[in-house]
Amino acid sequence: MELLNAQTLSKLAGVKLRARAVVDGVLSGLHKSPHQGQSVEFAEHKEYAPGDEIRHLDWKAFGKFDKYYIKRFEHETNLQAIMVLDGSASMAYQSGPLSKLDVAKTLAGALAYLLVRQQDAAGLAVVTGERFSDLPARSAAGHLRVVLDELEGVGARGTTDLFGAADHLAERISRRSLIAVFSDLFDDRPEALKRILQLRARKNDLVVFQIIDPAEITFPFDDHTLFLSMEDERRIEVNPREIKKSYLEEFATFLEAVRSTCAEADVDYELVRTDERLDAVLLRFLARRQERRR
Amino acid sequence: MTFAHPWMLLGALAALIPLLIHLFDRRRPRPHPFGAISFVLRSQRRTASRLRLKRLLLYLLRTTILLALPVALARPELRRASQIAAASRGPAATSIILDASVSMRYTDGTSLFEKGREQARETLRDLMPDEPANVIVCGRSSSSPPSPTFDRSQLRAIIDAAAPTFAGTDLNRCLDLGAHSLEESSVSGKRLVIISDLTANSFRLSLPPPMVTGPKGEKIRPDVVIRDAASGRQTLPNHGLVDLKIEPALQLGPRAFQFSFTVRNFSPDPVKDLEASLKVGDQVVAKGFMDIPPNGAAQKTLRHRFNAGGVLTGEVLITPDNLSPDDRLPFVITVPKDLRALVINGEPSTVRYRDEAFFVEAALNAPGSPVRQTVKDPEAGFREPFDQYELIMLLNVTVPTPEVSRQLVDFVSKGGGLFVSLGDHVDPELYNKYLGDVLPRPLRLVRTSVAPEEPDADRKAAKLGKIVTEHPIFSLFTGRAREGLMSARFYRYMLLEAEASGTTSSEVLATYEDGAPAIAIARRGQGRVLLYTSTVDRDWSDFPIRTSFLPLMQRFSAFLCGSLEEREELRGRVGEPIVLAAKAQEPVGAVRSPSGAELPTRAQEDGSVIVGPLEEPGIHQVLDASGRPIPALTFAAVIDPSESDLTRINPDELSAYFGQEGVVKGASDTQQQHRVPFWSWLIVAAAMAFFFEGVLLRK
Repeated sequence: MELLNAQTLSKLAGVKLRARAVVDGVLSGLHKSPHQGQSVEFAEHKEYAPGDEIRHLDWKAFGKFDKYYIKRFEHETNLQAIMVLDGSASMAYQSGPLSKLDVAKTLAGALAYLLVRQQDAAGLAVVTGERFSDLPARSAAGHLRVVLDELEGVGARGTTDLFGAADHLAERISRRSLIAVFSDLFDDRPEALKRILQLRARKNDLVVFQIIDPAEITFPFDDHTLFLSMEDERRIEVNPREIKKSYLEEFATFLEAVRSTCAEADVDYELVRTDERLDAVLLRFLARRQERRR
Repeated sequence: MTFAHPWMLLGALAALIPLLIHLFDRRRPRPHPFGAISFVLRSQRRTASRLRLKRLLLYLLRTTILLALPVALARPELRRASQIAAASRGPAATSIILDASVSMRYTDGTSLFEKGREQARETLRDLMPDEPANVIVCGRSSSSPPSPTFDRSQLRAIIDAAAPTFAGTDLNRCLDLGAHSLEESSVSGKRLVIISDLTANSFRLSLPPPMVTGPKGEKIRPDVVIRDAASGRQTLPNHGLVDLKIEPALQLGPRAFQFSFTVRNFSPDPVKDLEASLKVGDQVVAKGFMDIPPNGAAQKTLRHRFNAGGVLTGEVLITPDNLSPDDRLPFVITVPKDLRALVINGEPSTVRYRDEAFFVEAALNAPGSPVRQTVKDPEAGFREPFDQYELIMLLNVTVPTPEVSRQLVDFVSKGGGLFVSLGDHVDPELYNKYLGDVLPRPLRLVRTSVAPEEPDADRKAAKLGKIVTEHPIFSLFTGRAREGLMSARFYRYMLLEAEASGTTSSEVLATYEDGAPAIAIARRGQGRVLLYTSTVDRDWSDFPIRTSFLPLMQRFSAFLCGSLEEREELRGRVGEPIVLAAKAQEPVGAVRSPSGAELPTRAQEDGSVIVGPLEEPGIHQVLDASGRPIPALTFAAVIDPSESDLTRINPDELSAYFGQEGVVKGASDTQQQHRVPFWSWLIVAAAMAFFFEGVLLRK
């Protein structure tokens, strides 16, 4: 478990290995948990209709009620999950061993791994500026490799466009899905986050992983610095010490606004620092979902 | 300002470092691609104005530190304007002469005297320890100062206790006193320090400059330091009351007076709408406004009619300026009192205008007349109690009985007034016999110049020849008023006996053209007698129908009762003594100034009293031996009008007068000036700047 810190993960080449390492960590954590996952679980009875599987007839119910009932299980309604990855240039920022994009890809891969492992369908949507690339959600084991390969190839470029991503997803997703968004949410448009959260209103299960570099939270700069925008031509030369207090206030206000907006929209929100243990992030996320399901 | 280590000032160039860093610092900042640049931009916008101010303050504070430190290390010292040592070549005995003339009361917030006092203190502080000194507060009557001393506290006490006077000053005399006092000091250097407003009237440059006599009898010219209490001002604008003339205003009544005063403007700017007011007692009774041209004068007349008689005090005031003592001029005025007169009509008539008393009655009944008369025929009149009257008028009256005559003589001797006019009922011999003790001169015989009914009577009639206009009775009759007197015609009049040689018991105030007395007066006991040698009706003269008759009768009455001021208005000048003509029966006990101080008095052989010198302007009360006021001797003191002229003397003239080499007017000496260390304050400033820079950096 100690090996799953950012330093160690950075030494693992590729998303596949990192995701696998994270998933292993998660699974070992899960086995210790009293709440074990049940993917095939009785859900309800349904009166028999021609065409229903005979093997699912509940003979005990027939004995009691003299009617044919079919047992229905949860696994029959496969979960469709879409990993939405922000591939904007700002995601390439890294002050430690892993960039925000690295962390986002690892988390997305690990989550896909977990989903496919329990026979849910996992898909991928990558937003890089105004361009979108999609992999449809499938539960086949072979599809996981495709997803991981796709993640592997994602590079950071363009601007953060939560508006575009929300519109694209709304257009593409036809059935209720779990949508996991991995982004730093650095979109200057005030309504951008709300737009993406509107997906929740369409009965989708929405999870937001906000990936932030520790340097963006603590602003640890001292020397006179020329800050360059990673997404456009903006630049500014400042003495970081002079504006540090103001920056920290601004950034804390931003994080609090994101958190409260997600809470209002009944959306799961996870703030992920790139120097954090990612298995701990996933376990925290899973535990919280388990908590909500109860 | 001087520096102990001036080369350290080169370090002040370090103050340019912050500026140079700002101008030439071209260090490239480290570029850093940053994802959250939006927040950096927002923070920078939010803090931009505060940061600009902070940077500016930091720049100033750092510059202050870098400037203050090297300047402080250079050990700067402020040098006060101490001119003392400038003219000195070694220690010198010093005489500090502080001008205390009234012009030093000039104020522009702080009076010149206070500034001068401070300069005197500074002068004392600036003296070297081995320099003895003395102080002369130079007023009108300064005395010789003691020898120069090293007792600084004693000298400081003299300076602290000094006060400006209301008189002018003679700085030449004070300089001579100072120079003379320096001869007593063994210190070889001699120095005179003059602290003055340097007005031209303080110096008499025609006199020789002060000299000190050396031990061998040689004349030494002392160093002279001139300290200008007016701080080099070109002019000291001032306007002041310089003259006041009080005259009766006959046209307004017997108790009306006009106050004509002159205000001079001693400034290059005109004075507009200057308010002038007349105050009697505590009440302002008249006001007016004046315009005065630059460096010119203007006259104004205010009039007032008094309701009651007596000795009254008041002052003329103008709007105060920087020198206030000359903006008021006090005065004492004697206003005629009400008189009770018994008029004994020697020739009553049912025809009014033929009545002997007709014209006298009309004159004394005129509006505003101070006389309340009772007219009786001789029989009734002589039965009246005389002591109820101040004045008895015998108009062509047959001589009274011996007993009544004695009563009349007694009445006069006790202070009553007696007016005697003549006519056909008067028998000269009987008058001389019974009333000879009170008559100014014995009567002789009647002389007729012309019969009134003659055709050219007016031409041949006698006229008045000589009139003593200096006498208070006739003081009004000048100019056109005199014509009314001189045009009177006298057809008949009584000649008088000549006065015995060597006696001056009577005085002839008017004569006819032939030299015969027309009006004679005399003092008899405490009373007065006036003899008019013609008639007060038209029998012997047309004088009663002349315009001068009415005021003259009123003044006769006032004079006889002693209510007509006989003396010139008594007005003293501050800084000078005044002579009071005291009466033997009312000896002067004390004289008090307006502030209540008692003035020195010195009785003269002739009974007069010399008071003073007067020290302050205003009304002075004269008290008798028992402490009761003597109103008749109350007098006003005014300041010397020349002190209102604050024209400044040319410094070059002073330098030439005292000798160019020895005179110092400005600070230039580098050896003995009073030094004030300044560097410690710079260190404090630098420390404070350092502290505040730290505070700013933490924010």
